[in-house]
Amino acid sequence: MTLSMKNVSKVYKEGESQIIALDQVSMEVSSGEFVAIIGPSGSGKSTFLSIAGALLKPSQGEVKIGNKNIATLKDKELSHLRLQEIGFILQTSNLMPYLNVLDNLLLLKKMSGKVTKQDEAFAKELLTGLGLTSKFKKFPNELSGGERQRVAIARSFMNDSSLILADEPTASLDTNRAHAVVSLISKEVKARGKAAVMVTHDERMLAYCDRVYRMEDGKLTLQ
Amino acid sequence: MFLALKELKHGKLRFTMIGLIIVLIAWLVFILSGLGNGLSTLSAATIKNWEAEHVVYENGAGATFSKSLLSQSLQSEIEAQPGVEEVAPFSQAVIAILPTAGVTEGEKKVDTALLGIEAGTFLHPEVVEGKALDPNIKNGVVGNIILKDQKGYAIGDVIAIDGSELEVEIIGFVENETFNHLPSLFANMDFVRDYKYAAPGSNNGVEDAINAFAVLGKDVDAEQMIKAVDGVEVVTKSAAINGMPGYTAENGTIMMMLVFLIVISAFVIAVFFYVLTIQKTQQFGVMKAIGASNGFIARAIVSQVFVLSFFSILVGIGLTYLTAMVFPEEMPFNLDPALVITYGIVLLAISVGSSLFSVRRISKIDPLTALGRVE
Repeated sequence: MTLSMKNVSKVYKEGESQIIALDQVSMEVSSGEFVAIIGPSGSGKSTFLSIAGALLKPSQGEVKIGNKNIATLKDKELSHLRLQEIGFILQTSNLMPYLNVLDNLLLLKKMSGKVTKQDEAFAKELLTGLGLTSKFKKFPNELSGGERQRVAIARSFMNDSSLILADEPTASLDTNRAHAVVSLISKEVKARGKAAVMVTHDERMLAYCDRVYRMEDGKLTLQ
Repeated sequence: MFLALKELKHGKLRFTMIGLIIVLIAWLVFILSGLGNGLSTLSAATIKNWEAEHVVYENGAGATFSKSLLSQSLQSEIEAQPGVEEVAPFSQAVIAILPTAGVTEGEKKVDTALLGIEAGTFLHPEVVEGKALDPNIKNGVVGNIILKDQKGYAIGDVIAIDGSELEVEIIGFVENETFNHLPSLFANMDFVRDYKYAAPGSNNGVEDAINAFAVLGKDVDAEQMIKAVDGVEVVTKSAAINGMPGYTAENGTIMMMLVFLIVISAFVIAVFFYVLTIQKTQQFGVMKAIGASNGFIARAIVSQVFVLSFFSILVGIGLTYLTAMVFPEEMPFNLDPALVITYGIVLLAISVGSSLFSVRRISKIDPLTALGRVE
């Protein structure tokens, strides 16, 4: 099981009152699966993604990524875990503006040490697979929104991590581009055998997913 | 380094402006240090050139030559003190010199420091032209070579002392010898005495009057000597230099400006990079979300500041040397490479140190900001 969450709750204190952002959430995603989570804003989707992405620790319950329980890890180990095990596809404009497309991918390798020839070849292969052959040396501001999102997808696969988390990947895209981007994510996930979770409010994209969960008031239900 | 250099390359305008500020600060620091060094040389080069470890003054003179009056007969008593290797008498006066024919149109009298020494003692600097002082040529003088280069005097010139009937003859020149901001003019002690104490009673009744003794000897105990010899005070050479009129005031002023400048530059650089860091909070959040450690980002920032400051300071040094070429020759500007390197390193250390503010900020950035909507 790549991602496993058991009875996970997250409670925020706000003054005297408590806000239950996640309420006894359980789910499992194994490799090759592409799972979507939909729900209105404020339903706890972001909290879910933050916990699944090892950015936030739960108040209760157990989260395992690979075979590591994130509750037991220190901050430094968490950032290492994120680097090695998780690929994030964030909302737009989350590429480094002063790095060209290729360097944006190689940045992940820089974080863990040296960049080898193989890394560069792998990055080029990923970008080529996503139809960005002619864009290696372009800077993010020279790309369209869809192209930027495709670079972000390539980046999430760069470290060959087992879990891909996508946060509203279609938020700023028109229908055609949104379909193209999500189908690419789906294709890559299947081809490379990753476990993937996409948080979205875009119901048009659900056809690409193996399972769809609905999040409402912190409760997760399978549809 | 990778991120640092890529960003520097991408944000040329922004970083050129910050670099320019560091260049200007460095430039000013180096010019001030050159000026300070030049002024202190002008003020006391002759004393600084002395090999002596201690200087003996009249008790109560406060390490000022003009306030001190001693008899040369004390010399044997001082020589007898433990640790003393050599003793040389010294006397000083400020004079204006002019050609014996009088000042013609376009010429000026030249202020010089008339310094009385005994020929052959260790206080006699090396001559670069002509010959050294000779007791047999009583009115022979050895002057700073700028008297030749800038004022047109030459060896063999007989020159008059303003306000006196005495005349001197230039027999040699020395280099880099200034005293009290004036070019030094070394003369035989007997001659200086004739000039200074021409009026009866002006020597306060002191026989063979001189101003001070320079003492050679590493093991001299100043306290011991003050007790053993009547009516003297003994100070180290550096105290004697500080006792030169205006020396401490000049140096203090310039040091104060330098210190303030360096403190201000620390704040300016720190604030600039802090603001840049805050602007990039979102970027750093993303980097942390995708797995960058604090150390990775901190290294990127520190190396960026290092590269930027290093090259800016180099440009500052270059500009300083260019400016030095334009400065008029009379300007007391003296760039000491050791001093330039020291201040360069201090500036570099301060900029890199001030970037640590930003580094502290980074460790507080929450990777959740990458999600753009923290709940």
